[in-house]
Amino acid sequence: MTGTKAAGAAIEATGLVKSYKTKDGTVDAVRGIDLRVEPGEVFGFLGPNGAGKSTTVRMLTTLLSITSGSARVAGVDVAADPSGVRHKIGVALQEAGLDERQSGRELLTLQGRLFGLGPADAASRAQELLELVELTESADRPSKSYSGGMKRRLDLATALVNRPDVLFLDEPTTGLDPASRLVIWDEVRKINARGTTVFLTTQYLEEADQLCGRLAIIDDGLIVREGTPSELKAELRARRSLDHDPTLDDVFLDATGRTRERQAGDVQEVQA
Amino acid sequence: MTETLVLAKRAVIEGVRSMESLMPVFFIPLFFFVVNIGQAGKIFPSEGTPFLEGQGYAAFSLPTALLTAASFGTAALFLVEEIEGGYFDKLRATPIPRYAIVMGRLLSETLKNLLVTAVIVVVGMLFGVRIESGPLGFVLLLAIMATWATVFSGFMQLIAMKSRSAAATNSASFIFFPLLFLTPNFVPRDQLTRPMEIAASLNPVTYIMEAARSLILKGFEGDVLLKAGVVLAVGLVLAISLNVRAINNYD
Ligand SMILES: Nc1ncnc2c1ncn2[C@@H]1O[C@H](COP(=O)(O)OP(=O)(O)O)[C@@H](O)[C@H]1O
Ligand SMILES: [Mg+2]
Repeated sequence: MTGTKAAGAAIEATGLVKSYKTKDGTVDAVRGIDLRVEPGEVFGFLGPNGAGKSTTVRMLTTLLSITSGSARVAGVDVAADPSGVRHKIGVALQEAGLDERQSGRELLTLQGRLFGLGPADAASRAQELLELVELTESADRPSKSYSGGMKRRLDLATALVNRPDVLFLDEPTTGLDPASRLVIWDEVRKINARGTTVFLTTQYLEEADQLCGRLAIIDDGLIVREGTPSELKAELRARRSLDHDPTLDDVFLDATGRTRERQAGDVQEVQA
Repeated sequence: MTETLVLAKRAVIEGVRSMESLMPVFFIPLFFFVVNIGQAGKIFPSEGTPFLEGQGYAAFSLPTALLTAASFGTAALFLVEEIEGGYFDKLRATPIPRYAIVMGRLLSETLKNLLVTAVIVVVGMLFGVRIESGPLGFVLLLAIMATWATVFSGFMQLIAMKSRSAAATNSASFIFFPLLFLTPNFVPRDQLTRPMEIAASLNPVTYIMEAARSLILKGFEGDVLLKAGVVLAVGLVLAISLNVRAINNYD
């Protein structure tokens, strides 16, 4: 894997590990992950709560130190040149971290300034992005007054200020109503169509199915499946010799050992 | 540098938009100021109290009010709010040098305190306080208080980054009680009881209070000002270097 293609990977991680030190010992949140995402992909990182999705994203985006292993994002080594990485990525974390006293426009303009734009350029970039995420009407209100969906869209816009090569979205639709979710999906597709690689974590199978060309399923800090949604379904169908196409749900349950049978069994035991 | 200024400007605007956070900064010091004068003004009349140097007790008491106003650590409370809310991580994900995040906050605290100190001094003047050292002394008084406000906020910001909890940071701000009251805030140091005098002499804030008092009551006393200068310089270097280290190692 040292050919010209390797040099061009949007994200490449090898043996990525994160152990948190806590009062009662260490928590191995990520236990050795290998990843390779090509430019232009929408890559899904699917896993249940506590699987290690956010931890992985935080390592890849230079927000968290890497316990062992290495990662390159947009061709830059995360540990060796974090600032170089930050220039090339956009990040929208799980909690849409906004300064609620600022308006959407102010927030985006400030973000532009922090990425080195002059005041005029930052202002015009802010306007472009407000149009992109359809927030022009509320642009000058404090973001405190925004709905959940609007906050997510604003957060998404702040992640795009520097026209990133790679965009990281950590559970971008968790907690949103179905309509707002569809709007975010549309945005992600639009952004990707312009050539931005998207790395997206989600707990929603449908989201992964709808948006992602390829995905990895992570459970308990390890990647347990990887491939396109149809590859993963076909693999399960072949392995289990099923007579129908399984859903991504089935793949997920199979991969994470959270079987429907077991859940049903539990229920029956309770009834008995 | 640009990033620090951009973030300081944002922090100032934030302060202006949350006036409620500025109210106690004015109200609490002025409340104690007025109460102290009311209670002790008769015990320490202007004539017959040598340490007042001919002024009223208000002049003696003003530095305590100024130091109280400078010991709120508002910048740290805003910082911990943005740590809890996640905006801190958003800032950390931008390519600015990370020191700009803590320095921007500290700079806004410096600026805010210049304003707060000036207002409280003006209120003091309404109570008959004169600044014996004149306009230059007034400027020096502003600089001393603003530097202390920055140092105090700096240490509070360390707690904010370490604890990542608004509750913990709020609790830590009560450190201002021993810092402000184990001092010669009521009478000069040589009139304190022996244990209190020892405590006050060990408290760095004492030297800042004495310098401010000397500027108000006496004029320019080199040795008194020098001691305050050393305390503030050491405090500032420590606060800034520890802040920069804390944010660079923030994980
Ligand atoms: N700061 C932390 N300190 C200790 N443990 C943590 C910390 N952050 C996350 N964890 C633990 O690491 C595991 C993975 O968490 P996370 O990456 O947030 O999962 P996900 O995003 O997939 O829900 C969980 O068991 C979580 O409790
Ligand atoms: Mg998460």
